[in-house]
Amino acid sequence: MTTDPLTTGAAARPAGIDGYPGPFPVGRYAAGLRERLREFAHVCVLGEASGVRFGRGPNVYFELRDGDGGLPCAMWRDDFDRSGLSEDDLRDGVEVVAAGGCDYYAGGPTASPRFTFRVKQLRLAGEGDLLARLERLRRRLAEEGLFERQKLLARPALPRRIGVVTAETGAARRDFLAGLERRGWRGTIVWGYAPVQDRRAAGAIARAIQDLAAVGEVETIVVTRGGGSIADLWAFCDETLCRTVALLPVPVISAVGHHVDRTLIDDVAAVCCSTPTHAAEAAVAVDCGAARAGLLEAATRIDTRGRAAVLDRARRLLSFSRAPRERVTAHRTHLHQKARELRAASRRGLGLRLDYQRRTATAMIGRKRDAAAAAAASGQVRLSARAAALARAADALEARRREAIRAHAAAIRGHDPERALERGYAIPLDADGSPLASAAAIREASDFELRMADGHVPARVREEVEE
Amino acid sequence: MSAGPATYESAVERLEEIIKRLDTGEAGLRETLDLCREGRELIEYSAGELDAVGKGLEELKLDELIERLEGAAR
Repeated sequence: MTTDPLTTGAAARPAGIDGYPGPFPVGRYAAGLRERLREFAHVCVLGEASGVRFGRGPNVYFELRDGDGGLPCAMWRDDFDRSGLSEDDLRDGVEVVAAGGCDYYAGGPTASPRFTFRVKQLRLAGEGDLLARLERLRRRLAEEGLFERQKLLARPALPRRIGVVTAETGAARRDFLAGLERRGWRGTIVWGYAPVQDRRAAGAIARAIQDLAAVGEVETIVVTRGGGSIADLWAFCDETLCRTVALLPVPVISAVGHHVDRTLIDDVAAVCCSTPTHAAEAAVAVDCGAARAGLLEAATRIDTRGRAAVLDRARRLLSFSRAPRERVTAHRTHLHQKARELRAASRRGLGLRLDYQRRTATAMIGRKRDAAAAAAASGQVRLSARAAALARAADALEARRREAIRAHAAAIRGHDPERALERGYAIPLDADGSPLASAAAIREASDFELRMADGHVPARVREEVEE
Repeated sequence: MSAGPATYESAVERLEEIIKRLDTGEAGLRETLDLCREGRELIEYSAGELDAVGKGLEELKLDELIERLEGAAR
């Protein structure tokens, strides 16, 4: 008798529900389930890889998908390394053939139980079908010109009302609001909530976009969700959705996935952003805080320029009104200056004339003096001649006078008593030496001297003889 | 009286042109006064646009907005 692992030990448990075996301890049931699943035949499956994760753990995780469904897969890292593939080979969208069988992880204290297709061997199967379909659709839409229509729409830099299509819960909504907050934008957001991943997503997103555009007061529509595998984002590659966006009269900004993800809605949208935050900044191109500061500065500059233009012209007019008086003043000053210069020039001219006259007079005087000197010299010559004649006449006169004097002297000398003395005559002199000119004087003097030519001789009158 | 700006960005663009022209100092008095008047109008318009998106964030669901608009239409 074999023991069914799913039902073993059921008798030791509390009563269950009528019509159902059990209750069984869930852990034991999970272990039994794993054993049953492992008994499934091992097969090869074909699909596109997506959500590939090379973590630190011993497993490589990914999903295999095609248009009808998919399997969560796990592969021991050792098995992956033995497959000869690199991490770059196993990327999202790559079509692979995986060999393996069903497995079940019963979970643990911190890990959730999960079903997996345990892959034992793996090989590439060529270009991924999803990506190939996506490329074909992309080329067709591009050929129809649907990538350009949205980009030709005028997109307001400062919309008052923004429509947003996203999941009601999720990081994209929060990140978008944070981006608007950074812009300082506090207008109206109209949320068009829609599923963004399941089979109903594409239709719901298209309806939300059309409704937002139909409202008429929504100026920009943002479609956003977080990152994921190409399969997760497949709704945003839906042809109907992309055609709806392309033909919409309201600009659509897409921010689906991360910067490495490129969905078809990114191509048809007016603007493609890598993140919800980036989408918020694209939706509101104006940094409202900086714009307010800029307006204040512009107002100040315009007021300043306006006032300056008026004041400059008023000052110029004022200067015009002062101009005549200033011109008269300038002319008066000029005239005064000229008058001063004229006086100075007159003084300089008078001096020059005086100098001229002085020089002329000096020259004339010089000429007169020279003439006078010449005349004087001539007179001097004549005078000299006259003087010489006079001198000669004087000399002749003197000679004549000398001759006369000599004649007189000779005559006088002839009468000189001294000459008589020399001839032996004597002169009686009194005691005083005075000559005694008469016999009576001699008598009276009695004693006298006789002066002779060679000396004196005392003499005395003798007694007169009586007669 | 000139027509008002069509959008915020066209207003700002025209405002930048006006300031650039005023900064050259080449505009005559009449042109300067006209530019100043136009510039003040543009600033008033732009400030109004900024005020419209600065009063406070309002969040509406699409259905709520449609109901509001339909109520206003009735």
